[in-house]
Amino acid sequence: MNRKNFITKSGIALGGGLLAPYILPSGRLFAKSGTVKADHVVLVMFAGGVRQQESVLGRYLEDSQGVAGAAGNIMPNLFEGDAPNKKIAYGTTVSGEPAGSEPIPRLLSQSMEKSGLLFPEMRAQSAGHYIGLNTLLTGNPGVTQGLRVRPSYPTIFEYLRKHAGFKATDTWFIGNGIGNSTPLLNSSNHKDYGLAYGGNMFAAPVTFSAAGKEVLGNAKTYSRTDLEPMYFMKNFLDQSFALTKDQIISVSNTDEEKTQIKDFIKSVFAKQQVGQLSMPPVTGNSDALNMMYAAEVLREFKPKMLALNISGVDSCHSNFTSYLQNLHRADHVTAWLWQHIQNNIPEMSGNTVFIVAPECGRNQNPNPILDQNDWNSYDHSDANARRVWGLMIGKSVPNIRVGGEAQPVGRLTDIVPTIADIFGILDDVNNRGLIDPLARSLYQRI
Amino acid sequence: MPNFKPHFILIYGLLLCASACTKERIIGYEVDQVNVLEDKSRKTKKKNDAEFISILYTNLYQSAISPNQLYKTQNVLYSIGDQDVANEMLLSNYFNTSGITIPQDAVMRADIDAFIINTFKRFYLRYPSEGEKAFFKQYITNNKAVTVEMVYTAFACSEEYQYY
Repeated sequence: MNRKNFITKSGIALGGGLLAPYILPSGRLFAKSGTVKADHVVLVMFAGGVRQQESVLGRYLEDSQGVAGAAGNIMPNLFEGDAPNKKIAYGTTVSGEPAGSEPIPRLLSQSMEKSGLLFPEMRAQSAGHYIGLNTLLTGNPGVTQGLRVRPSYPTIFEYLRKHAGFKATDTWFIGNGIGNSTPLLNSSNHKDYGLAYGGNMFAAPVTFSAAGKEVLGNAKTYSRTDLEPMYFMKNFLDQSFALTKDQIISVSNTDEEKTQIKDFIKSVFAKQQVGQLSMPPVTGNSDALNMMYAAEVLREFKPKMLALNISGVDSCHSNFTSYLQNLHRADHVTAWLWQHIQNNIPEMSGNTVFIVAPECGRNQNPNPILDQNDWNSYDHSDANARRVWGLMIGKSVPNIRVGGEAQPVGRLTDIVPTIADIFGILDDVNNRGLIDPLARSLYQRI
Repeated sequence: MPNFKPHFILIYGLLLCASACTKERIIGYEVDQVNVLEDKSRKTKKKNDAEFISILYTNLYQSAISPNQLYKTQNVLYSIGDQDVANEMLLSNYFNTSGITIPQDAVMRADIDAFIINTFKRFYLRYPSEGEKAFFKQYITNNKAVTVEMVYTAFACSEEYQYY
């Protein structure tokens, strides 16, 4: 071997040796930039507009209705604090007793605040529902975001699929209905991301409704032998048509993933039929239904990332009593989901970070609408509607309270970098420059 | 006021009538009757949910879907993130009902060429290319397990069927 050949071959060998360890099974060239803190994240978008006063501050009727001595915590699973002892109207109704006078027993042995990380005074970047949900999922306030269109900036599902190499069924969004553009939240329309990297989605109370059963419930169960020719012919036709990237119309599940999703839908209808779906002890609103279906998705797919939204508390626009009841139930069903993961999904138990945050708050001052108890109702448009909280619990989450009423710490745009941080792709997300420049991982806020 | 004499007016009237009464000429351009069919390269508009569902329903049942059924179906499909999954399940649900109008498998096997052309016309409103014809003919001929339902599912779930 002459000198030139030796140098050439040595150079190739050295380059290959340096590069090969970085080509990952997911196709990524470089390893994730950070340490993975947990294998699963569940984000509960505790939506509908939650006032600080009745939630984390435990003021019950004292601030909102001016009832002296009626403070107290009506969210015992999430926060610390004694329950109110005056005018109890937020619980369940027992025969012969006043409506709502029986609080739902606490599910967790100790509150999430006591076992996790609480940011009691964060800032929302908007006072609206859709923008708030967008912010939670994109890490960007999206000031130009319109209704009835997909988010303008990439969602956490797309970041995870593109930068962490997750497959489509690793990422799920469970919406509580098809109103308010909710079904559009599983992917953005950003040119570098989009549906090709979008998460799977069910607006579960609709998918698994009576109409859903009628439209989908009688679907045939095709064997793999049946499906192969169908997909083979379909793929031939699709190659011939060749959609451009901006024309892609669906999430990119593989044929195997599609089959799993179809089998899952049928299995849920079957469980419904025989009453085998796990559900919170107290149901009665669509939030409980959504939690129930989210639990089924978690059990079947063990997703890396699942986000779900609830919104029962939005009744506060015209009925404060109903708002209190739904707030109390939202606390109950959120705790139930966390408990369900710990007790029924061994693959996720002890290996999940659970994040809870509202999408916006509610006003300081009431609107003129009075409810059955002559209590004032509240909308969401003023500075008080930008006051929110954030809670984390689970694997390696420190037990600490960061900030307070007089010292706000954290923004809702922090949720996306926090999840990116948990999965070790924080640098990838930051380097794209598409999230709020002021956003930080909540781990960095401590 | 001009001073017209009556015989001038009469002459003008006669000239006017004579020039207006020409014989009508029948002009034919000899245009042949042709069936206008879609070209796949021109399908750029995506069918919306209502269009997709009602066209599919009419295709399979040869009758229009009721507004109530259309509304329910639209909502359910919208509630699922993977539209391929949703459409495949809807279609499979339809195939599991009575009343759909599709050819028998034996009819397909008896004249595969005609079946392919008819299927392309039925779903895509166009004729197959030579390559498409060759592919389907070979595939159906070589795979005895392929049924009309499988072919129709592939077409109805394909991307081209989402566009017009």
